[in-house]
Amino acid sequence: MAEISFPLPDLGEGLIEATVLEWLVTEGEMVERNHPLVEVETTKSAVELPSPQAGKVVRTYGEPGETIKVGDPLIVFEVPDDTAGIVGTVPKEEAPKRRVRLSANLDED
Amino acid sequence: MSEHTTLSDLEAAQDNTTAADVQQESVQNFPEPADAGATETMSMQQALNRALAEVMTENPRALILGEDVGQLGGVFRITDGLQKKFGEARVFDTPLAESGILGMSVGLAMAGYHPIPEVQFDGFAYPAVNQIICQVGRMNYRSRGTLPMPITLRVPSFGGIRAPEHHGESLEAMFAHVPGLKVVSPSGPNEAYHLLKYAAARQDPVIFMEPKSRYWQKGPVNAGADAAGYSPNGSRVVREGKHLTLVAWGAMVARCLQVAELAAEDGIEIEVLDLRWLKPIDAEGLAASVAKTRRAVVVHEAPRTSGLGAEVASTITERCFGTLKAPVERVTGFDVPYPSGDLEDEYIPNIDRILYGIQRVLEYRRG
Repeated sequence: MAEISFPLPDLGEGLIEATVLEWLVTEGEMVERNHPLVEVETTKSAVELPSPQAGKVVRTYGEPGETIKVGDPLIVFEVPDDTAGIVGTVPKEEAPKRRVRLSANLDED
Repeated sequence: MSEHTTLSDLEAAQDNTTAADVQQESVQNFPEPADAGATETMSMQQALNRALAEVMTENPRALILGEDVGQLGGVFRITDGLQKKFGEARVFDTPLAESGILGMSVGLAMAGYHPIPEVQFDGFAYPAVNQIICQVGRMNYRSRGTLPMPITLRVPSFGGIRAPEHHGESLEAMFAHVPGLKVVSPSGPNEAYHLLKYAAARQDPVIFMEPKSRYWQKGPVNAGADAAGYSPNGSRVVREGKHLTLVAWGAMVARCLQVAELAAEDGIEIEVLDLRWLKPIDAEGLAASVAKTRRAVVVHEAPRTSGLGAEVASTITERCFGTLKAPVERVTGFDVPYPSGDLEDEYIPNIDRILYGIQRVLEYRRG
C-alpha cells in the first residue's frame, strides 16, 4: 500500500488559507473520487471539497475552527500499490490470443 | 531539515572527480547464472524504488530531482518515501521545466554530484533535448575528460497505459544517435533493480528508459548480497530456441516471450533476446544468437523508419550475412504520432503481427 497526500488547493484566486468547518469523512473510511471530503471557509465563501481520488482516508489535518495554509497537507489517502499513476491505467494481464499460425518446412535447415 | 544531510555536508564528503574516474566500459554478454540465489517478489515500481534507496544510501553524492519526485513520490511512485528518508536537499521537486531539470543536472555533475533526474514522461524529454545532446552527451568530450557527466536520466517510456499524447513515446533511437550517451531499458523487475544500480554507478550519462506498462507486474528480484553473480552488461537470452531469434527490449520482451510460447505449439522454437543496452548495442550477443538460429525478427514500439530495429538488422546482417536464411524482419509501430486510447492496441506490435513477421521469415526462399 502507498500513501498519497493531498494538500489544500487555492480555492479562489490568490487565497492563502482556509478554515475547516466540518470534516465529512472519518479516518479509516473508504471514499470514491468526488465524494465530499470537508467543508472549509475562505475569506470569500464556504465550500465543500470533493475527493480528488478514490482511496482509504488515513489522516486528516485540522479540527473544525483551525486554519490551514494553501499547500499544507489536508488529507492523506492510502491506495493499493498497483494503482496507476496520475495519468493512464494499469494494463490488464490477459491470456495471449492468436489468429496467425506458423508453418515452416524446417527439414531444409 | 536539520536532521537531514545538507548540500554543504555533501560537499564536505565529496572527493574530487578526476579524469582517472572516467573509464571506458566494454559491453559484453555474460549470461546470468542459473542459480539465482535468494529472491524477493516485487513489482518494477518497488524494484526501482529499492534500487534508488540503495544508491542514495551508498553514494552521498547521489541526488534525485524532477517534477513531483519529492513530496508526491513521483507520478508512478518510483521515488515514494525517498524525500522523507534522505531529506529535501537530496530529493527535491523542480519547476515544470525539463530544460531546467537537465540543465541543473549538468551543473550538479560539474560540481561533483551524481544527479538522477526524472522527466515525468517520454514526450516531455523534448524540451530538454538541447541540454541532453549539447551538454550531457558532450561535456566529458569537450573538457577532455575532466568534467564527466555521471547523470542517470530516468524516463518512464513507451506506451500501453491508455495515456494521452506525449505519454507513450519511444525515444530510444533518438537518444542512441547522440554521441556520449548510453541507453538502457529494463524488461522486468530484476533487470530494473540491477540495471538502475549499475547505471547510477557509471561516470557516463545513461538514459534509463523504464517501460511504464510493466511497472506493476511482479517478478522475482535477486537483490542484495546475492546479486554478485548478476551481469548488467550486454544483452541477455531470456528463452533459448534454435529456429529464429526474436530481439526486443522494454515491454516488448514480455510480449515476445508469449509469442515464443505460442510458436512452440506450432513446432517453432524461438530464442528471445532481451537487448537491454540500446547504446552500445551488444553486437557479439546478437551475432552469437543468430549464428545459431540463422533467422531474426526485431520488435519495437517505436515508428519503423530510422527506428532502432534498423540498427539491429544492420548489425546482424554485417556479422551473419553468410548464414542468414532470410532478411532480418522488423515488426514495429507505424510512422505516425503515437495514438491515444484504444488505438494503441493497433499501433504497438501485437501477438499476431509478431507471428506474421516470423512466418514471413520462415517461408522466405532465396532466388
